[in-house]
Amino acid sequence: MEIGNKFGFDIRLFLFQLINFLIVVFILKKFLYFPLKKILDERKYKIKKLLYDTEHIKITLTKANEEKKIILMNAKQVADKMIASTSISLEKIKQKSIMQTKQLSDQILSDAKRKASIEFEIASKQISKMSLDIANIVIKKILSNFFDDDEKQKLLSRVIKKINDEKKTNIPN
Amino acid sequence: MQLHPDILFSIFCFPVTNTIIATVLTDIVIIIMVIIVNRKICFNPNNIQNIIEAIIDYFKEITETIAGEKSYFIYHWGVSFFLFIVISNLLVNLPGFDSIKFCNTISFKHTELSLLRVATSDLNFTCALAVISIIATHFVSIQYIGIKEYFKKFITLKMFPIFLSVGFLELMNEFSKVISFSFRLFGNIFAGEKVISTIYNLYSLCLPVPFIILEIIVAIVQALVFSMLTITFMHIMTEKLH
Repeated sequence: MEIGNKFGFDIRLFLFQLINFLIVVFILKKFLYFPLKKILDERKYKIKKLLYDTEHIKITLTKANEEKKIILMNAKQVADKMIASTSISLEKIKQKSIMQTKQLSDQILSDAKRKASIEFEIASKQISKMSLDIANIVIKKILSNFFDDDEKQKLLSRVIKKINDEKKTNIPN
Repeated sequence: MQLHPDILFSIFCFPVTNTIIATVLTDIVIIIMVIIVNRKICFNPNNIQNIIEAIIDYFKEITETIAGEKSYFIYHWGVSFFLFIVISNLLVNLPGFDSIKFCNTISFKHTELSLLRVATSDLNFTCALAVISIIATHFVSIQYIGIKEYFKKFITLKMFPIFLSVGFLELMNEFSKVISFSFRLFGNIFAGEKVISTIYNLYSLCLPVPFIILEIIVAIVQALVFSMLTITFMHIMTEKLH
């Protein structure tokens, strides 16, 4: 007790401090910790939720990326197949068109040859006929100037006979 | 500076000391802080809410580390002790805290006394806090483990009489805790005050600055020690006897 008095211990002051601190604790608990704890818990919950959402989004994104890869791979395969089939059909069409063109050109060529030979035959006939006519006229003219009618007739018949013979030997059967 | 606080005046035989005035000032600061935080409480905290939230969160985490799931019953005691002690310790740095004088009218002598003296340099204050800390520890223990388990800590017939004497020692330990709590805080703060007043008397221009900084650190550390010990004792007392 003596030591207490030496240090200024007073039961009234002690009780005052005791009650005062209990009141302060009550005020702090009621008006500071509970509202702040509520806010802190709410914030913690929100952060947890956000983290969970972020994780969920991350997983979804990874899945979407994987799906994208698969879709792209499938699309590439389909595209490759399409390209391959297209090139095959293109080759076929090309071959077909070449063949058709070749056939057409052959046909045109044969037609042209045929037509040319016909034309050639016609032309050669005409030329031979014309040359015969010209020769006939020339001979007639010459004969009328140098021979009388009997000589003319004899010579003419002889020439005609010779020409005919030559003709027969020149033109094969 | 004496060991006991100075009595300024009396109200109905109740002596109003300068430490009582400082305690009331601490109460006012705490109430203002509570009002400010409560009025502007929001999801995105402002400055003061940030500080208080940081302190509460720090103590919550520390208590969870020490006591685990029991932290819900314990941490608010730790925060209360810390805030009350640290505010009353730091108020001494307010201008005019020691220099405002009061004329004594009780002894009819013209003596000038300091109007304010840091509350923790009064044994009544530290003793009251120590007693509350110990009572709260026992209260939390009963609340958490139940009255039966609580009494088993002190009185048990198992391995009679060894554990009975252990229980008696535990009981003595509780009383020694009050003494250690109160005298540690009182001694540290009173000694700091004494050192600073001595330094002021020696040379008051720049010399006290390092001591003031040291005293601020001591004030925070002592508040932390008091609240940490309370949390630890509460955790120990809420452990069941094996």
